[in-house]
Amino acid sequence: MDPRHSIFPEWLRKSLDGLYLASGYLAGVFLVAIFLIMLALSAGRPLGIDVPAGDDFAAWCMAATAFLALAHTFRSAELIRMGLVIDRFTGWRRRLIEIACTAIGATAVSYFAWYAVEMTWVSWRFNDVSMGVIAVPLWIPQLGMSVGLSVLAISFVDELLHVLFGGTPRYEKPPANTADEIIERVMESGV
Amino acid sequence: MDNGLLIEVSGIILGTLLLLLVGGVWIGVALLVCGFIAMQFAPAGIQIGAALATNAWSGSASWSLAALPLFVWMGEILYRTRLSDEMFRGLAPWLNWLPGRLVHVNVLGCGLFGAVSGSSAATTAMVAKITLPELKKRGYDEMISLGSLAGAGTLGFLVPPSITMIVYAVAANVSIIQMFLAGLIPAVIVMVLYISAIVVWALRNPDKCPPPEPKTSLASKLKETLNLIPLALLIATVFSALLMGWATATECAAWGVLGSLVIAAWQKALTWKSFKDSVMGATRMTAMIMLILTGAGYMSIAMGYTGIPAALASWVDGFGLSPYALIAVLTVMYILLGCAIDGLSMIVLTTVVVLPMIQQAGFDLIWFGIFLVLMVEMAQITPPVGFNLFVLQTMSGRDSLTVARAALPFFFLLVATAAIITVFPDIVMFLPRMAFPG
Amino acid sequence: QTAWVLPSAYPPANYHVENLNQFASDVDTATNGELKITVHPNASLFKAPEIKRAVQTGQAQAGEVLMSLHENENPIFGIDVIPFLATSFEQSKKLWEVSKPAVEKALDEQGLKLLYTTPWPPQGIYTKKDVNSVADLEGLKWRAYNVGTSRIAELVGAQPVTVQAAELPQALATGVVDGLMTSSATGVDSKIWESLTHYYDTQAWIPKNVIFVNKDAFDALDPAVQTAVTEAAAAAETRGWALAAEKTSAYMETLKSNGMQVVTPSEELKTGLSDVGAKLTEGWLAKAGDEGKAVVDAYNKM
Ligand code: NA
Ligand code: NA
Repeated sequence: MDPRHSIFPEWLRKSLDGLYLASGYLAGVFLVAIFLIMLALSAGRPLGIDVPAGDDFAAWCMAATAFLALAHTFRSAELIRMGLVIDRFTGWRRRLIEIACTAIGATAVSYFAWYAVEMTWVSWRFNDVSMGVIAVPLWIPQLGMSVGLSVLAISFVDELLHVLFGGTPRYEKPPANTADEIIERVMESGV
Repeated sequence: MDNGLLIEVSGIILGTLLLLLVGGVWIGVALLVCGFIAMQFAPAGIQIGAALATNAWSGSASWSLAALPLFVWMGEILYRTRLSDEMFRGLAPWLNWLPGRLVHVNVLGCGLFGAVSGSSAATTAMVAKITLPELKKRGYDEMISLGSLAGAGTLGFLVPPSITMIVYAVAANVSIIQMFLAGLIPAVIVMVLYISAIVVWALRNPDKCPPPEPKTSLASKLKETLNLIPLALLIATVFSALLMGWATATECAAWGVLGSLVIAAWQKALTWKSFKDSVMGATRMTAMIMLILTGAGYMSIAMGYTGIPAALASWVDGFGLSPYALIAVLTVMYILLGCAIDGLSMIVLTTVVVLPMIQQAGFDLIWFGIFLVLMVEMAQITPPVGFNLFVLQTMSGRDSLTVARAALPFFFLLVATAAIITVFPDIVMFLPRMAFPG
Repeated sequence: QTAWVLPSAYPPANYHVENLNQFASDVDTATNGELKITVHPNASLFKAPEIKRAVQTGQAQAGEVLMSLHENENPIFGIDVIPFLATSFEQSKKLWEVSKPAVEKALDEQGLKLLYTTPWPPQGIYTKKDVNSVADLEGLKWRAYNVGTSRIAELVGAQPVTVQAAELPQALATGVVDGLMTSSATGVDSKIWESLTHYYDTQAWIPKNVIFVNKDAFDALDPAVQTAVTEAAAAAETRGWALAAEKTSAYMETLKSNGMQVVTPSEELKTGLSDVGAKLTEGWLAKAGDEGKAVVDAYNKM
């Protein structure tokens, strides 16, 4: 069996991977939306066009970009962690470390996701609205955060089960083969 | 909170954080866990889960933070163009008279690329991919070439736009545009120091530089200079959008993206695939940074609830350190930290505790931001964890200790810059004060 | 012993925060340390838009926020930002007296108990040209940051411009914005004389901060402590209104001493503005329904 293969049946595996990727693409769409809103705000002024509450909409797109892309980022091995010490371990010791890490991650992110969903639900129940020129019910933009975190929580649990049942972590890239790959990875660290 | 309990609680939080980080837990997750632990010491009755969600929401649904993904995207687009090749051809003809000649392309090129890229590793990579082979081909000493690249690449942080400055501005609750302005003069100082160092090196090691290239006519020099036009236009677009009142500081990022897209299209480097790749690359980096910022934000308010940072600040204040001594202690601490962790984490992990001390000692938070950016720049070129070293190690095939040794003189010049701005803080504060009096 | 946290979005040097600190120490003294209130200023715990929600959901026991920030949620929270309805501290105080029961009720429905309110300085118009009538406002690049300011732009033919508060100084300096309505306090804080020249003291409206506490947190206190809190709050309210009046004249002096032309609006401008005000009051009444109408009627009778 391919050690990168999943314990899940093929259809579930495909739907989960599709979910992470779709969520990531949606985040990309919100990134482009930030660009378009800002450009419209800026270029609109000399033309006498205002984008009402454009600042609010850009801010919400920012939150949606940040959270919806998390699971896809995680699975693309781009959430950063310190490899300095753990990279020295191999075999069952390393596996134990990975199980502990994904277990901590799954717990923390599920907790976070739970309260993000609760916040969105409370906004809906309280009928919270935005404060700018256009009154938008806040649960709508907050959906981006709760959905994104929920998908991340699913992907963490997915990885935990996968590692527990002997799989190779899919949130770690295999060693880079080419110089281009290494440089790309360094640049992905944001520093 | 009394001193005994204070030390105990800070110890628990710090110990857990170190354990989680060293154990390979994702940095954002480790911060969330520590925020949760700190929250246990908040006043009774506080809803700690709800506070996490509220803080994460208000921290991420932020107008000024929305510039971050755009600046990242801009770098992603430009990396896929021929801009660095053109930069080399445009600058090279003008440097024949200066001792050290083409080595200076590294410094000037990084300064220019720093103005369109928010990251130091990206700046290094963009300049290195063209200058490393060109300098080697012409017979320049590889050590000076690598060292100056590693050092100058860090300008990606000090010259606006800058990811680290945005991250710091968010963590310290200061204006992003003021941070950007504050970095300009120190960046010029760093460049002048680097150029002087290269000149001194060239005068003392005439054998390590190839003979000057044949003289070219002014006309051909000017013709080569035309290569700089796209880069110059891009920088000019962003700055003039700001100065002419077309755009606010945040909206400039959108003009930068537009300019980059135009350059990419003009160079026929803009395909559907490269567009999609650049968007998704920027999106992933944004998500990565935002998870860390969210964790740091939660830890920061958790500490706020407990009152630990304020108590620590007054505890440190009790030692009666002079402001210079405090900065010296912090410099040593950051150099040590910077060996082991990356710059972003260094900022978010320390600001919670350090900022109250800095304010207590009477430093301006903008000034401290620039100091911190210099510390992060130093961290980029110290082993074992130094991202500029990683880039150059890969591109040159040398091991990272060799690159680090080559970069050592430039590391000391960064320390010197930190000392200069500490003694003359007006260097940092001049531009922000001019633009934002009061 | 009980500990409360009280977030506020304003910097420690602001008079609202000074007043809050005094309130907290009054409570401490009156209750012999039985109730400790820690003020977290400068949005260090929660940003302004989140403070009310944080108190409602038990993330903080008490909080301070600009009441009109929540006008989209309930029109009664926007009663003090209806332009030209109450245009002096005396009128504003009266408006507060008649609207207080409705505000208290609205807060109560959200699980909050009102402690006290304090006003900001009155709002005037900043421009860099003479404004003798409403027609002179036409074509200005006008900062629109809420329903009211955006409606005014529409009614006077100015161009609404969306700019965040943090970017306002830069937007003024580069001409992104060349007309806005705000208080003398904000004008001084952003050194507005460096970009604009005229301040029209229209006293268009007087916004207020509300300081509230989570009902459950308040109910959990001993009756004696509750009384101490209410008494300290009443004292803070009196202090706050006096402070606001005092600060307003100091701010106006600062504007003048920095070469700003501080102008009393001409009759023509006043008439034009009160027409605009009438339309905005109408708009507000349409949203606020019978309860709002009752408040405004009661106010007009005073
Ligand atoms: Na930069
Ligand atoms: Na380092």
